[in-house]
Amino acid sequence: MRTDWTAVWGVVAKDLRAVVRSKSVVIPMLAVPVLLMVFLPGAIGLAARAAPGVQVERLLGDVPGDLARPILDLPVEEQLIVLVNGYLLAPLFLIVPLMVSAVLAADAFAGEKERKTLESLLHSSIRDRDLFLAKFLSAFLPALAVSWFGFLAFVVVANGVAWPVMGRIFVPTRLWGVMILWVAPAVATLGLAVMVRVSARTHTAQEANQLGGAVILPLIFLAVGQSTGLLLVTLPIAVGIGAVIWAVALLLLRGGVKRFTRDALVAQV
Amino acid sequence: MHDGIVTDGLTRLFPGGVGLADLSLEVASGEVLALLGPNGAGKTTTVRLLNGVLRPDRGHARVLGLDPATHGDELRRRTGVLTEHAGLDDRLTARENLHYAARIRGITGPAVEARIGELLDRFGMGERADQPVRGASTGQRKRLGLARSLLHDPEVLFLDEPTSGLDPTATRDVVELIGSLATEHGRTIVLATHFLGEAGRLADRMAVLDRGELVAYGRPADLADDLWDGLEAEVDLGARATTEQLDVVAAVAGVHTVEPSPAGAVLRVAGRDVLPHVVARLVGAGAPVYAAVPRPPTLEDVYFEIEARRAASAGLPPAPDPRGVPT
Repeated sequence: MRTDWTAVWGVVAKDLRAVVRSKSVVIPMLAVPVLLMVFLPGAIGLAARAAPGVQVERLLGDVPGDLARPILDLPVEEQLIVLVNGYLLAPLFLIVPLMVSAVLAADAFAGEKERKTLESLLHSSIRDRDLFLAKFLSAFLPALAVSWFGFLAFVVVANGVAWPVMGRIFVPTRLWGVMILWVAPAVATLGLAVMVRVSARTHTAQEANQLGGAVILPLIFLAVGQSTGLLLVTLPIAVGIGAVIWAVALLLLRGGVKRFTRDALVAQV
Repeated sequence: MHDGIVTDGLTRLFPGGVGLADLSLEVASGEVLALLGPNGAGKTTTVRLLNGVLRPDRGHARVLGLDPATHGDELRRRTGVLTEHAGLDDRLTARENLHYAARIRGITGPAVEARIGELLDRFGMGERADQPVRGASTGQRKRLGLARSLLHDPEVLFLDEPTSGLDPTATRDVVELIGSLATEHGRTIVLATHFLGEAGRLADRMAVLDRGELVAYGRPADLADDLWDGLEAEVDLGARATTEQLDVVAAVAGVHTVEPSPAGAVLRVAGRDVLPHVVARLVGAGAPVYAAVPRPPTLEDVYFEIEARRAASAGLPPAPDPRGVPT
């Protein structure tokens, strides 16, 4: 059966318009990307400019030599900037698509119940599968857009602030490329897939966010691990992690699609 | 092929109990069916089953010749629904809510704007069309919900409490609109409501549900015939009838019962043709007769009589009649 794209984009457009008007959704959704993608690289760049001789060897002490080599081979004044903005922020950045997709998915799925709009939607002629697709896109597309625009802002800020030290454009690196184009969409899908499941068990977007927040913790641990040098994400590992996340997300999503029927949904009203 | 609604043994079970049990009824095209009953009776479950939102565990239904369980998507293109909560997105304006409904129904093009404008004006929402729904009164939401349910000119309308929260003028307008949709435009309407007055004005058939079971179904007049022997009438004597006047009336052939009322007497007679004899006897006995009016039972009378008899058969005290009429 063909997808009714008019109906799908109708739902997507309505969800996005409604979200943009909801400060309680928009502010937290944009605060984290601004912090991670603008303030943090800006502060690091300014700190590196203020103290150009900071040694990063101690930070990289536990990292295998081959992995640390590209950074240690750089001039000392560039090492901190490249280490933080080029490597350590990359996994931390995954919080952005995860959080945005989770927040929007909670609003799209559980929010319909909370606003008492689900039943009238189920009485409309949109097909179950098209409705699921629409709700998926309502969360996935903004998550990707925020991530990618956030990354563009990061590139501008990181290179701009570090220019007096670096004298060249040093991000995006290949690791960033993999993170942005491969891992970030996977993480957005994972957050969404989890929220679809969680939303089926909750009655408000806030409840869904609280329950779904557990998903974000492993990613934060991964990021913290990365920043303390315990776990270094190399290019092949990043690709592998992306593949694993995609697999888990798609598996969860498939289960979500199967359960996404009018009969099941209306029972939650 | 039946263009209205037919159900046969329609049953839906829930983990907590029966949602609807063995519902069999038939509504012809252009008729209004009133679904009546207390909260939890199964009215909303019936609407969900008939519109293919819920699937039955047993039995089947046909709406516009389609099986809602297997052709729900196709059916919902031809039906309109006003849910109890209207289901509008508070963050959008009235106009945007209608645009949204139009798009998900695949209605696009330049005619949409004109149709939306026409409906907003028709339901008195033209002036606040571009204001967010947040802040709208319950009545305004209901009217907007009704406008949305009519957007695609549906053949069957499911209306869940369409007048709750409306002021008297808006209620009158909505009742008249629903009536005209059925009588002038041939729409089949299922009206789930607690308001027996509006149901009485609109319904061709009534279905009384209680805890998922169909207690009574049919045309109100037919149900009344089953419930009562003959016709009720009221004789206006300008004052409570005296014992002598009551005896005069009781002696007329075809009078089953007679009781005094504040304005005269209430009697039950075999038919309308008995009333002239009653009037003649009373006049002959010197009583001033200002009026003798047959009072066919209303849907309310039928509903409360059914409830009273059910309560009596279950050994329960009769439910209070909110109209103040003894049951």
